[in-house]
Amino acid sequence: MTTATLTDRYVDAAMRTVPEAQRADLAAELRGSIDDQIEARLGEGEDQASAERAVLTDLGDPDKLAAGYTDRPLWLVGPRYFLDWWRLLKLLLWIVPACAAFGVSLAMVLEGATFGEIVGAVVPLLITVVVHIGFWTTLVFVVLERTGHETMTSGPWTPDQLPEPRQRGAGLGDMVTSLAFLAIFAGVVLWDHFVGLAPTQPGLPFLDPGLWPWWIIGLFLLMALEAVLAIVVYAVGRWTPALAVANGILNLVLAVPALWLLFEGRLINPEFFPTIVADDGAKVGVIVNVVIGFVIAGIAIWDTVDAAMKARRASRG
Amino acid sequence: MSETEILETHLQELRRGTVVLACLRLLVNPGYGYGLLEELGQHGFATDANTLYPLLRRLEKQGFLTSEWNTDESRPRKFYRTSAAGSRLAASLTDDFRAIAAAIDDLPTPDVQPDRRH
Repeated sequence: MTTATLTDRYVDAAMRTVPEAQRADLAAELRGSIDDQIEARLGEGEDQASAERAVLTDLGDPDKLAAGYTDRPLWLVGPRYFLDWWRLLKLLLWIVPACAAFGVSLAMVLEGATFGEIVGAVVPLLITVVVHIGFWTTLVFVVLERTGHETMTSGPWTPDQLPEPRQRGAGLGDMVTSLAFLAIFAGVVLWDHFVGLAPTQPGLPFLDPGLWPWWIIGLFLLMALEAVLAIVVYAVGRWTPALAVANGILNLVLAVPALWLLFEGRLINPEFFPTIVADDGAKVGVIVNVVIGFVIAGIAIWDTVDAAMKARRASRG
Repeated sequence: MSETEILETHLQELRRGTVVLACLRLLVNPGYGYGLLEELGQHGFATDANTLYPLLRRLEKQGFLTSEWNTDESRPRKFYRTSAAGSRLAASLTDDFRAIAAAIDDLPTPDVQPDRRH
């Protein structure tokens, strides 16, 4: 018979992934063992075909057997590297997609792209970035697993590596920081109006003087409410869902009019950039407008999300 | 997972290391793959072929077994024998197994209630 038997095929399949040097020896031993087992079954009255089939079925997937012979791992990232892999992946997924989306949308706004164009570019970008991070990070660890290198953070774990307790965001320090920031901001606005931010003679205000008095009074009112909120959060001792919602509304009430004024060209003093930057004042003004818009929206979103997450953690804990 | 499967898993974990010890003790007299498989079964260490063959290779690589092809018979066979290092390993494993058995005997015995669900 010239056709290969099941045993021939099994031994071939098992030897495919075994290093050349061990192959002949292992193949001969494996074949002998299979033949021994078949013979034992024949002795019990089974026929050749079913005995062979039963023995090979018991031996199982030949690649798995070969992995046992060669100590090859049958997993992509095993227990030794799993935690390092998972921590690094989470860290990268927190940082990189957000930075990429922010950077690309900022650049596109400066180039004058529409909102739809930006969404159309950022969504596929985010998907691509996430897939790339997942793939390359995992690939590095798969290679590490198979070459047996230590990872960068490996080394015995010590209690010093325990994470600090999560900040509740409602301590004395948080309140003082909030109040100090509000006070400084109010001081800057007043300084800007009465002295002027730009060191010219006479001083040149950065904010549009047309905002005085009513818009600025509105701003100070909102800032006073923010200060009250900071004190209430400290007094309650934690962020509650209601406080987080109030914080979100305050951010909304502050950011939306600010952005509206910005794009109406009424937030920044129209004299400011043409005076400071003689040649390209208008161009610089447009760029600064866009950057400020991003900063206002970014701070409002970040602050709202941050408070919401603290409220959620507090309600869980 | 059913209760018998869970029991099976625990028993497997408990017995895992004992196959190594049994091989090292049995192979004081040279033996080959299938013959050893049978012998293990007779001595109460039922083992799968796909566990035993890689195990023999690993012990050989670690120097606890030596091997030699025997081509006297019609079917050439690779015979394994416990090396000096293998005998020392078998002695320490045996001591440790006895120590574990003694330690278990010293443990308080939980009352075994008959399983009423059956």
